[in-house]
Amino acid sequence: MITGVRSRGTRLRSTVFGYANLVPFVFFALFPFYFMLITSFKSNAELYSLKSVPLWIQSGVITDHYRYLFARTEFLTWIGNSLIISVAATGISLVISLLAGYSLARLRFPGVGSFGTAVFITYLVPPTLLFLPLSQVVVWLGIADTIWALIVTYPTFLVPFSTWLLMGYFRTIPREIEECALVDGASRMQTLLRIALPMAIPGIVCVVLFGFTLTWNEFIYALTFISQSTNKTAIVGVTADLIRGDIYYWGSLMAGAVLASVPVVACYVFFLDYYVSGLTAGAVKG
Amino acid sequence: MAIGSRALQAAAVGVPSRFARVREWWEQEHVFGYGLILPAFVLIACLVAYPFGMAIYFSLSDYWVGSPGSFVGFGNFLEIVRNEVFRQAVWNSFVFTAIALTCKAVLGVWLALLLARNLRGKRLLRGAVLLPWVIPTALSTLGWGWMFDSLYSVVNWTGIRLGLMTAPGPNWLGMSTYAMAAVITVNVWRGLPFFAITVLAGLVSIPREYYEAAEVDGASSFARFWHVTLPLLKPVLAVVILFSTIFTFNDFNIVYVLTRGGPVNTTHLFATLAYQVGLQGGNLGQGAAISLFMLPMLGMVVFFQLRYIRRE
Amino acid sequence: MTARVSRRRFLQASAGAVAGLSVSVLDRAPALAQKRELSFLSWNHFVPAADDELRRQAEVFSKQAGVTVRVDTIAHLQLPAKRAAEAQSQSGHDMLLTADADPFLFENQLADMGDLVDDLGKKWGGWYPFAAESCQTKSGWKAVPWFWISFPATYNMAHFKKAGLEYPKSWAELLQHGKALKKQGNPVGIAISHCGDSVTTYWSIAWCHGAKVLEADGKTPAINSDKTAAVIEYYKELYRDAMDPEVLAWDDASNNRGILSGKYSWIHNPISPYNAALKEKMPIADDINHHPSPAGPAGTHSAPPINMISVWKFSKNIPLATEFLKFLFQKENYDAWIVAGNAFNHPPLRHLADHPIWARNPKFAMLPKEAEFAHPRGWPAKPNDAVGRIEVNYVLPDMVAKAVNGMPTKRAMEWGQDQVAQAVKGQLKTSG
Repeated sequence: MITGVRSRGTRLRSTVFGYANLVPFVFFALFPFYFMLITSFKSNAELYSLKSVPLWIQSGVITDHYRYLFARTEFLTWIGNSLIISVAATGISLVISLLAGYSLARLRFPGVGSFGTAVFITYLVPPTLLFLPLSQVVVWLGIADTIWALIVTYPTFLVPFSTWLLMGYFRTIPREIEECALVDGASRMQTLLRIALPMAIPGIVCVVLFGFTLTWNEFIYALTFISQSTNKTAIVGVTADLIRGDIYYWGSLMAGAVLASVPVVACYVFFLDYYVSGLTAGAVKG
Repeated sequence: MAIGSRALQAAAVGVPSRFARVREWWEQEHVFGYGLILPAFVLIACLVAYPFGMAIYFSLSDYWVGSPGSFVGFGNFLEIVRNEVFRQAVWNSFVFTAIALTCKAVLGVWLALLLARNLRGKRLLRGAVLLPWVIPTALSTLGWGWMFDSLYSVVNWTGIRLGLMTAPGPNWLGMSTYAMAAVITVNVWRGLPFFAITVLAGLVSIPREYYEAAEVDGASSFARFWHVTLPLLKPVLAVVILFSTIFTFNDFNIVYVLTRGGPVNTTHLFATLAYQVGLQGGNLGQGAAISLFMLPMLGMVVFFQLRYIRRE
Repeated sequence: MTARVSRRRFLQASAGAVAGLSVSVLDRAPALAQKRELSFLSWNHFVPAADDELRRQAEVFSKQAGVTVRVDTIAHLQLPAKRAAEAQSQSGHDMLLTADADPFLFENQLADMGDLVDDLGKKWGGWYPFAAESCQTKSGWKAVPWFWISFPATYNMAHFKKAGLEYPKSWAELLQHGKALKKQGNPVGIAISHCGDSVTTYWSIAWCHGAKVLEADGKTPAINSDKTAAVIEYYKELYRDAMDPEVLAWDDASNNRGILSGKYSWIHNPISPYNAALKEKMPIADDINHHPSPAGPAGTHSAPPINMISVWKFSKNIPLATEFLKFLFQKENYDAWIVAGNAFNHPPLRHLADHPIWARNPKFAMLPKEAEFAHPRGWPAKPNDAVGRIEVNYVLPDMVAKAVNGMPTKRAMEWGQDQVAQAVKGQLKTSG
């Protein structure tokens, strides 16, 4: 953070500059969400009328779309499934990438570089192709049509990026601190857990947010590995049940979009606090 | 796992117990290193190696959805290159990725700089800016589709009222340049938070002393940015740009929902054309060839970027 | 009946014993402890009540046969990915909804349904030819036609009345009326974009003008011809004088929205907008009506979508699936299915087609007759996977779109011809 002795005038100008420049970004980011929100509360008559104003609700807020979502679809079950899958998959990925990231960043042994690159290559095949042979693997493992299929396969696309991110953080930790610890008699594992880990907290938070978001929004694996309605994830369920041929239940779709965003937003809000305090602590430590 | 120093002393001084020998073995750098990588390695070997290999095999064989085929070498690749639609998709993908990536990188760094400031309501602002990344893509793209709809577009409605457009407004998803602009916009909208937040994390870890030193030296804010911030951001930026390139090249959802590759194949990307040819048309071999067409080139990009990052 | 049931029960029990004894990776619980499960993958029907009816019938069959029938439904655009995954992993549902060229694409993986098809055909007065051709591959019947969806024209009577016009009986009349209606502010709408509707309409217009896409041998591209040129010219004129440019951006739902918004006067679409308007109690429902697909110089032709049911070869429940299919085609069940779909589901069997639901409602009365001038996609060629490829890659709407956007008709036709040739070249080699 840029601070120092500056005049009040400069600080005021700087603040105004900051806010003014943020306005277009915030507008660009929020407008579609606002639009989806009001669409979910508009009556169908107003939604499809060419004469209505699309920017706000004119004929009264209705909750029919939300009620349809809850009454006629298994929305809550789907949200529950998504939550379990996202938490489990993110947790597993976090542990795996922490260990791997530390190892690749800190330790020297033959094959470090090539493993690091190999891990990256996995991203080059898009999931829209990978899902086919992967569905075979899922069947062989006997987990087809269960949420375990997703919990087990999601780490495949989370681990590479998370590993790299954590590698970056682990590298910023001065070697001397760790070497001191080792000389003092700590084991390598202790060094990792007590010294390296706390210094990588911002990276860990990033990985958790990244992982949760990606697993929550994932579509193609969730579509193909799961068929039973009670095992579906939120996104697949909403798009499957609310788009019927050439009839789109726009209001309920948008309601589904709004509600499906809530858990992820909650996750961010919770972690953003942690993130901020972690960042501030980092700045103070310098 | 965690043993007190007394046990360690005992192990070093007295009779080497089996437990102590195992501990010693585990403490070696390469053993520990391999051990930590083991979970990731198992994951990749079991769940990625086979599908990855199969995907490559698809592209080199005459594979159809209903029946496995025989090896045909580069036959599929030659066939798709002969097709004008595929060549169009290649062009589209490059245009799409280049423009989207540039926007995301430039705007992302700019946004990260703004968010790094000590403003009131920081948390709210950061949360607000993150929203596009957080809303499920499959659903937010539908929302955008509604915003660009040929009859009900709110973009056109607002544009006309503000005098920026003449009625009925651009045919967003029906004319090729507009359609490309529309899908790029949605991609930038969705990808910007990813850039901004990751760069922000990088920004924040730059020690304050560097800035203070630069300020004392009399550097302007732009000079501070150019000579202090940007060089120190390079590693983070390099990784994010690398990942974003791959994700953007392989983007599927946006084009699939908004235009299905139209109008007249001018927004088809590798992933959407591969889906159409491979899964809907049934020719998995060609579909895989389309998906993997960029593999060698992207592989090179990955290789060189990683070398660059590792050198830093 | 009782003897059959108890014999079935005996077979089930012994099958269960054998399965329980065998070591199988895929068996998660001993079969003796569970009821046999029959799974069916279908689409989310346009009319939700039809899905409810299907599930209700599945329940009834479950009780009757002492099994569990599970019906999973997903969006129809998501089905290709699912089918491919099930074919690839050789595991998944027993029965599945198939459409278009699927019986040909998956020919080697689907079970032969010939006996059942013959039975049903004999019982109910025969299958409509276009339905039968869609399921008959060189190696046998790979699907049972289930229902077809009529593709009439949906129009807004009020707009036509205001213009003082009757509904168009031919494509030429549509052009004439369209010009007047567009001046009135109520254009007509035919999609020329990457969506299913645009392909269906192209077939109709092309056939009505005598144009072909493939010759009868199924291998020779037949796009390059005066007739196709006439079709493209027709589209160009229609686009210029009777339609709005937004049809280039349409997806399958856009024409529904267009007519329900009150702007459009005429679209080529099944009865889904009307049903939607009724459900939402929109006043425009009173103005919406249907008329048979227009005729052309070469007669009246149309390509209604047809949905079929197939059974995977790897399924362990093929006889059970056959029983379930027989059950679905019993008169009271099929009739209930028709009613639940609110006239949307048309039976592919002649004698099931005289249900009063169509005759009773003047807005639906003309729909069943479409079966008489319906053809499978690719006619005069028999349907095959090349036709499927041509459709899925939107070759026909793209060709028209190019011409409409300014490319000379001849060049657009040549492009289309080339694309068709490429689709035919990559032909799936099947055994037999």
